[in-house]
Amino acid sequence: MRVSAALPIGVAALLFESARRRREAEGRLADLLQSAGYGEVILPILDYVEPYEALLTAASRSELYRFIDRDGEQLALRGDFTPMLARLLAPRLAGLPLPLRLFYRGDVVRYEEERAGRQREFYQMGAELLGPDPSAEREVLRLFLEALTQEGAREVRVVLGFAGALDGLLLGSRTGSGESGPADLAALAAAVARRERDAARRASRGLLAVVESGLPEKPEDLGPEAAGRLAELLRLRDDLAPLFPSAQLNVDLAEFARHSLDPRLAPGGDGRMGDRSYYDGIVFRAFAGAAALPVGGGGRYDSLFRRLGAEVSAVGFSLSLERLIEARGEEQT
Amino acid sequence: MIRLALPKGRNLEIALAAFRAAGLLQGWDGAGRSLISQLPDDGIEVLSLKDWDLPLYVEHGVADFGIVGSDVLSEVDGDLLVPVRLKAGRSRLSFIGSSHQMPPPGGQVRLATKYPATARRIVAGRPWGAEIVKLSGSIELAPLLSLAELALDIVQTGRTLVENNLVEIETVAEVAACLVVNRASYQRHRARLNEWIGRLEAAEVAV
Repeated sequence: MRVSAALPIGVAALLFESARRRREAEGRLADLLQSAGYGEVILPILDYVEPYEALLTAASRSELYRFIDRDGEQLALRGDFTPMLARLLAPRLAGLPLPLRLFYRGDVVRYEEERAGRQREFYQMGAELLGPDPSAEREVLRLFLEALTQEGAREVRVVLGFAGALDGLLLGSRTGSGESGPADLAALAAAVARRERDAARRASRGLLAVVESGLPEKPEDLGPEAAGRLAELLRLRDDLAPLFPSAQLNVDLAEFARHSLDPRLAPGGDGRMGDRSYYDGIVFRAFAGAAALPVGGGGRYDSLFRRLGAEVSAVGFSLSLERLIEARGEEQT
Repeated sequence: MIRLALPKGRNLEIALAAFRAAGLLQGWDGAGRSLISQLPDDGIEVLSLKDWDLPLYVEHGVADFGIVGSDVLSEVDGDLLVPVRLKAGRSRLSFIGSSHQMPPPGGQVRLATKYPATARRIVAGRPWGAEIVKLSGSIELAPLLSLAELALDIVQTGRTLVENNLVEIETVAEVAACLVVNRASYQRHRARLNEWIGRLEAAEVAV
């Protein structure tokens, strides 16, 4: 009998050399994370849907591979590590020594529209730092950069921002005051994220500056709280940049325009990697080499735990190993 | 070297006029048959692509930026930056039929279009329903020959409609040629792209 070697859309088998390359990268990254004090957790590939109901947006729900098992329970294949880790740890947090440093590796499966460069099953590695630590953001971002540079990713460009950075500008725009521009603020935020200059120009001069340069004309334009956070973020960037001379670190608030915190800006949440809606503090994503999609990203997500009834500081990142290997270029293969 | 994807057909003329006004692509006439052209003066390599393929090339990073119609862009729904919507050569996306009547509330019609995803989104907000028929050209024929009661298509001057006794019932959106940029390429070539975007915008205001 002849058997077809065809696989479903969006999945791939790694044979021989590509498998070896993936396992080697994975091993080196695991070593890096372990030596930085992060302990491995192994999470199941299947879970109930119910614990996530409150955390899912319409977009992230439609990405899940869901099914009913023989007992009539609704289950889903793992679509993201961070919420799974959060829901497992939130009830146990009181009994755990903090800060907690964890890392994970494994496949996630998401229903992505069929198109170039978007797999439905992909291999992620990531790290999470939970618990009070004033330099958590610095530590996690630094580890993220170490992972990228250790793996030889070329032309690393890390884009930094923070959730809610543009809320004041969006609400204070002509759209926010009902004068003109896109029909609603979520649409305006999406237009800023696409760097649509006309839409930004109609909304306000302050937003146009952010769309053009990634930064406001004057920090105060963002409002006092966000201006303070921008100053902190720029300091963090300036501290880390000299340690990674081969990488570019840019603060670009337009890139994360959809990460708003104000409910009036409630985003549709499009659930793309690095655009996951649970980030509520610093957000970052990295591009590298010729890869057109981010090789990884992360941020702060305290509110994810809060929605699960636990109060803890949480910062983490994840990397796509396929894209990271792609970003190394041919000379390394 | 930075790669620019240009469409074929009508949007090519619009794109070339805009880039030339901005002082780019001076030495390229776009008329040849080569699929890839090097323009060393600008440090640009130009790819010549079909409208419908162009967003995919840019999203995948094969091309760093390009020009494509907003009609195609809203249909393929990729994650692209869209810094500029060119003012020249704008047209309309409209409902077309043989009478001025839109379907009554609760009605069910057949709707012919090149843009099934866009049509589905628009119809979802209407009090009537539609069975969407995807065609790849000559959409006007569908209401004319009663393949469908309605069509959703691009209208430029409206002359074809008049000549065929069809009516532009309702304009749904304005269609513009858009400058699209790959998200990663934007971070990589930010200074150069920003300069060109600025020049394109300035040239358009000056026209």
